[in-house]
Amino acid sequence: MNHPQIAAFARLAKENTPPTRTIIGQKTLISRTMHAFEYDAIHDEIVVPSPLAQAILVFHGGAKGEEAPARYIQGPQTQIVGTGYGALDAVHVDPVNNEIYLPIARDSVLVFDRTAQGDVAPKRILGGPDTQIRFPKPDQRGGLPNVAVDPVRNLLIVPSSGAIGDRRPASLLIFDRTASGNAKPLRVISGPDSELGGGKPHIYAPKGWIIASAAGGAIGVWSVNDSGNVPPRWRIPVTKITGMNVNGVEIDPLHKEIMVPTGNGNTVFTFYFPEIFD
Amino acid sequence: MRKVILITLITAALGVFSLFLVPMNTALRPATGSPQLVSIQQLPDFGDQCAWDNVPSSVAFRALRGEPFDMYPGQSVYAAAQNGGEMVDVMRPPVRTIRDTYPTYSFVAVDTQHDEVVLQDNNLWAIRVFNRLENSPPGAPLSVPKRVIMGDKTDIQYNNGVYIDPKNGDIYSVETDVGDKVVVFDRSKEGNVEPTRTLNTPHRGFSLSVDEEKQELYVGIQYPPQVPVYRKTASGDEKPLRSLKGESTRLSDTHGLAIDTKRKLMFVNNWGHVSDYLTAGTGRFEDASIAIYPLAADGDAAPARVIQGSRTQLNWPAAMSLDPDTGDLYVANDVDHSILVFKSTDQGNVAPTRVIKGRKTGLNHPTGVFVDKKNNEVWASSFGNATATVYPLNANGDVAPLRTIKSAPDGYQGLEFGKVEAVAYDSKRQEYLVPN
Repeated sequence: MNHPQIAAFARLAKENTPPTRTIIGQKTLISRTMHAFEYDAIHDEIVVPSPLAQAILVFHGGAKGEEAPARYIQGPQTQIVGTGYGALDAVHVDPVNNEIYLPIARDSVLVFDRTAQGDVAPKRILGGPDTQIRFPKPDQRGGLPNVAVDPVRNLLIVPSSGAIGDRRPASLLIFDRTASGNAKPLRVISGPDSELGGGKPHIYAPKGWIIASAAGGAIGVWSVNDSGNVPPRWRIPVTKITGMNVNGVEIDPLHKEIMVPTGNGNTVFTFYFPEIFD
Repeated sequence: MRKVILITLITAALGVFSLFLVPMNTALRPATGSPQLVSIQQLPDFGDQCAWDNVPSSVAFRALRGEPFDMYPGQSVYAAAQNGGEMVDVMRPPVRTIRDTYPTYSFVAVDTQHDEVVLQDNNLWAIRVFNRLENSPPGAPLSVPKRVIMGDKTDIQYNNGVYIDPKNGDIYSVETDVGDKVVVFDRSKEGNVEPTRTLNTPHRGFSLSVDEEKQELYVGIQYPPQVPVYRKTASGDEKPLRSLKGESTRLSDTHGLAIDTKRKLMFVNNWGHVSDYLTAGTGRFEDASIAIYPLAADGDAAPARVIQGSRTQLNWPAAMSLDPDTGDLYVANDVDHSILVFKSTDQGNVAPTRVIKGRKTGLNHPTGVFVDKKNNEVWASSFGNATATVYPLNANGDVAPLRTIKSAPDGYQGLEFGKVEAVAYDSKRQEYLVPN
């Protein structure tokens, strides 16, 4: 893409409201294909992948302009690898347990210490046939999903759907948060009624809700306790309402809102969604 | 009789109640000279100062009164936790929308035969064609395009590189996201029309150049970085004649591409995000650079020269264009709001010979540049403010443009979106963080 900025907008911004700040330029080390990244509210940091350079960048929360990352993880010991097509799309930070999760194109999830920097090995790796994790391989078309942690129940949620064209059903795999190696998931949400869509789940921990993309251009809400072929509890059919697609989701519990970015309209929608927060 | 009594009682009750209402009328209340409580109203707890997009005003009004749950009658909404077993569709429209309603210009090219300027719009997915002499200086109305190619049939999305056939005015345009193709429109096309032909290319095509003498089409691919070269008239799944790619090439997050057919050189600029996508842990960062190759470079060929280092001022270099006579290389230098000019023979850590930069230039994150040798002008398209500006070819420093094509109001700062695929919420600052 052109101009791979990270732009910050006031919460109440609307059409044609300019950003309050942007993170741009060579020194930032950012590049295109930042398909999922996170703000760590406890440590006031932005954690973002640098997809074309097999790196994880960590910025100060208020970073702006050509500000270099405070630290980054990169190098041979990291085992970081993405896909040629989607690169290294997504990264998750668990600020409660001080860990960074990075799905990679080896059907596995790397876990780093949150404060790690440089060429460091992951503290644990979740991957293997029993995990049922199915991500695109480096030479396959498709991007990597993001994962989410429920720090209250100590759970890790991993979307699994393989490469573009993989006709096997998508799954939400629910692991113990500290699962490592070839561990089996505790539960699996999957099946035609589950209406699972893309990756990039978010957890609203007080209620145990998983908020993620659902089939047909929607946002769906499942419970971390769900298992099997279960439908979402709620669904916002974003494409039906707006005519635009769904490329992810973010939550704002304070204002009881969720945000949905859509790539085919260069638009961020905010939906009022008190049902999941009350 | 009962009815009469009932009416009398109601009338009396209303009369008594009205007496209590009178003191609440502030117009009748005597001034005290100090603040007074005149009203208590519940504030909405969401979207408090924003207009509701795409919602009828009556609906928005009711919502702002705190009635969001019955905006759309007949649609189920649950106020409390949903316990499963059934799925509830929530049909409320968005309360707010962040988007840019103006074009975002990425690349520019000039059809010197027909005196037209062609601009690629990354935001509204269009190719806009203007008269070359169009001029909308500050205070003037927005520029009006002669024609626009736009719509779902066009296959135009996040198109960047653009090339105009000097003989027939055909427009070549490459898509940088999931389109994975070059589309070609003949000059007569406008509106929502299918391309005259398409050529499927590797993912992330960003720039184009054509060797008219050899009838070869060069496509710069960002990542995995490579420069495949096709027959100019190739279409469909036709394979490239050759492709420059591999570790020795030093290509990395490739952006601008320019060829010098007179001196038989190829110039490619790089952002320095390096990795072999097939091998874990190979990532590294380098400074931005311009690598120079023989025009016929193929395979894992090393560059003949590299321009790289702090003196170059390269900062997210984007499009490049050559003066075919002098060999001077013009570089749109996005983050520095500048156009850099290097000599054809430059190498190493060298400063540009000239820099077009400054407040008068109107440059705002320029990502497109085009040398119009016929008219001795250089064009730039700015990603940040929906403009294209043109300067004398020998311009240097803080020079005002000769003319300006503008598609947004004066002083407008665009959102500079280029495919919004994620959002993170900064709860401390109450800000949305939106990447391209």
